[in-house]
Amino acid sequence: MLKVIDLHASYGAITALRGVSLEVRQGELVALLGVNGAGKSTALKSISGVLRPIQGSIRLLDEEIANKKPEVILRKGISLVPEGREIFTGLTVEENLRLGAYTSYERTRYQNDLEEVFTLFPILKERFRQAGGLLSGGEQQQLAIARALMSHPKLLMLDEPSLGLSPTLVDQIFELIHSLRERGITILLVEQNAERALEIVDRVYLLKTGSLEFSGTPEELKSKLDIATVYFGGASDAEREVSL
Amino acid sequence: MIGAEFIINTISLGSLYALVSLGLVFVYGILKLVNFAYGEYVMVAGYALYVLTAFTPVPWYLTMTLAVGFAALISYVTELVAFRPVRTKSLTAMLVTSFAVSVFLQNAALLLVSPRARAVRLPSWFNRTITVFDATVPLRNILIIVTAAVLLVGLTLLMKYTVLGIAMRAAADKFTTTRLMGVPANLVISAAFIISGTLAGVVSIFWVGRSAAVDPVIGMAPLLIAFIATVIGGMHSLTGAVVGGFVYGLLFNTLSIMLPASVISYRDAIMFVIVIVFLLFRPEGIVRGSYTEERVG
Amino acid sequence: MSTGMRKVSDVLKHRSTLVLLSVPILLGAVGVHFFASSLVVSLYTYFCVNLILVLALQMFMGNSGILNLTHVGWVGIGAYVSSILSVPPAVKSMGVPNMYPALVELSLPIVPAIFIGGVVAAAIAAIIAWPLMRLSNAVGVITLFATLIVMHVVMTQWDNVTNGPRTFFGVPFFTTLWIALAGALVTLAAAHYFRESSLGLRLRASRDDRFAAYAMGVNVVQTRYFTFVLSAFVAGIGGGLWAHYITSFSPKAFYIVEIFMLLTMLVIGGAGSVSGAVAGTAIVTVLREVLRQVENTLSLSDMFNRDVYGLTELSMAVLMVIILIWRPGGVVGGREVAWPLLRARRRASEVASADVASDE
Repeated sequence: MLKVIDLHASYGAITALRGVSLEVRQGELVALLGVNGAGKSTALKSISGVLRPIQGSIRLLDEEIANKKPEVILRKGISLVPEGREIFTGLTVEENLRLGAYTSYERTRYQNDLEEVFTLFPILKERFRQAGGLLSGGEQQQLAIARALMSHPKLLMLDEPSLGLSPTLVDQIFELIHSLRERGITILLVEQNAERALEIVDRVYLLKTGSLEFSGTPEELKSKLDIATVYFGGASDAEREVSL
Repeated sequence: MIGAEFIINTISLGSLYALVSLGLVFVYGILKLVNFAYGEYVMVAGYALYVLTAFTPVPWYLTMTLAVGFAALISYVTELVAFRPVRTKSLTAMLVTSFAVSVFLQNAALLLVSPRARAVRLPSWFNRTITVFDATVPLRNILIIVTAAVLLVGLTLLMKYTVLGIAMRAAADKFTTTRLMGVPANLVISAAFIISGTLAGVVSIFWVGRSAAVDPVIGMAPLLIAFIATVIGGMHSLTGAVVGGFVYGLLFNTLSIMLPASVISYRDAIMFVIVIVFLLFRPEGIVRGSYTEERVG
Repeated sequence: MSTGMRKVSDVLKHRSTLVLLSVPILLGAVGVHFFASSLVVSLYTYFCVNLILVLALQMFMGNSGILNLTHVGWVGIGAYVSSILSVPPAVKSMGVPNMYPALVELSLPIVPAIFIGGVVAAAIAAIIAWPLMRLSNAVGVITLFATLIVMHVVMTQWDNVTNGPRTFFGVPFFTTLWIALAGALVTLAAAHYFRESSLGLRLRASRDDRFAAYAMGVNVVQTRYFTFVLSAFVAGIGGGLWAHYITSFSPKAFYIVEIFMLLTMLVIGGAGSVSGAVAGTAIVTVLREVLRQVENTLSLSDMFNRDVYGLTELSMAVLMVIILIWRPGGVVGGREVAWPLLRARRRASEVASADVASDE
């Protein structure tokens, strides 16, 4: 469904991606892993149009979308849940969701979508008329994902959804991602919490300083972990997690 | 009775100033641009009033509507031609651009019409005085209050209950994320400029109605009022702009009464000094808004 | 190689920007002096005076990235102070009938008068800028603009000092081609050394990334403050030289139209560098003169049947927006000319992405 070929991107003089290629197939849950600064978020930003890539091709269902505006790319069917959730704090939960449905609004369909969101995220029904800024971190993350789903994306991209959440909430978020995949939603997930991500994903890409280090199934990555740990210089589980 | 007169005139002036500063903040909220050309939208509406009243038989209500529409159009055109291409450049580049647009429009008026003021004749009832609550005030002042109330309610409804309004509020908070929702950047920015121009046009009717004349630099005073009022009220919310407008109107009328005649010509200077001192203690203004300083890129 | 030659090549190497900029200005002045009409000499003098004012603006605005609309106010203070100090009492009592007697009696030679003008401008700037430099972007720009208005109100209303909105005349002519040239070259050197000085570097760091500068221990507010006062001092001196060139003026000369002209010079050339300020001043001075001629010709022709106003400013505004759209770093592009020219270009391209982004 999504095919990224030889993607280069930079922030001013600082190069963040040097020729990354990856693919997400229909119905897959794919993880993009790597340490801080490896270029994971940059990849998502480039795909969603927030950052203009210098070079390379990004294809969604064989249509070139590189260098298109973010609002156009959303209409093509890619929805990004940005890092840090980026809830509109001054808007109510309802208004946040209404904006999520900006491109797909149709009254009855919108009502149905809301019902579906409420079954997935019951808390949002309770908080429906509260300001987004008053929600807790976990609730904000749920709202961010719900908001992104409102546009009926072909591909959902999640940037560090577990960041800053308590362990229980992290469990919930990963369960949720898993259940979204079960519903047939194609997902590209960026995570630092590699251990947890590997439990639920179909395939993995590993980024290191802007280049692809590994691609394959979680099992393949785990079998190569010995090499990886040597490579990263760590040995213990904890360190392995950090290094990933 | 001076008391009632003072109150009505102050509310009226405050309403006008609230509209003036609201127009500026609409664009600032989304683009983070302090638009120096804002006063010129008031000016072009003034010239539209002049041309329509002096050279055409158009009835007054149509004249006013067309003038407001012209200000909105010019505002939109300046966005399209000048601000849109520099939007991704630095903040100073945008500020300098707005300064240049202001100079351009002023000198276009100089070149096309005249450096001298032109008389604008609005219907005579506009400036008739009436008596309310024992106070004798121009009907115009009552009309300002009514107009401002209608516009404020209308804009509140727009911002709260329409998708465009919600998108504009969202864009003022997090511009990039709003685009990630599929909201076109140009749509919200253009909408902000059109609303800004419309407010400037409405302001122009009352401003020009008061002086009964228009000249190329007439936009300077409303621009300054918008600047100072928004700074007092707080630049990061629409409420701040409205509050700032009323506070400024009150300050202005109070100073006009209290200052001795010998220093009245320094009134503007004194007001600015008060404002600058006020900012030392509360740089974010009276109303702390939720808008961020995120630039549009 | 003789030591003299080595010295020359050393200077070229380390101070090539300064040499590359000042030699043409100097040669231009000599050329104009020997071969051109008095009109051109006068225009060249005006160019040099403008250059002082634009370089002073560049010092603060170019290095800090803050739009400083008060600049022309400091020019005005310098002009008034130096004129009040140097105009003979007899002329003053006639020209400014309401002037305070104490001021009328003052009479100083022109050079100290100009210098004191700079000091007064700097002193007032030192008081006013203290609160202003703390304010954030938007609020800061607005208050700087409001400050310009306050200065203008004071200049037009305080007729015991400035003759109010009326013309202040009888200022002795002093600023010849050579004096203006000397002033311009000294200011050029000052602006150049300032840009490369540690204060200038810190200021540019804060322009490019305010928070990173904070993190590196740069006191952004203080850095801006010192530069602002320095810039006001140079502007005040420039204002004095301007006053003794133009010999009569009114507060109008220190307001929107004039700050706009100075801004066009800086922005069209490129605010980020001293080279940009020089190029912009040269381009705009010539263009403005040409447009004035066109205006005059049109006014005298039968085409319009009236005076043609505003064409100059209108055209400059259009040109400025075009430059901001297509070449936001200005004609020069935010870098300095340097010797050898080719190497400088290559080095510039390496930093271009970081530099151009903020040099607009």
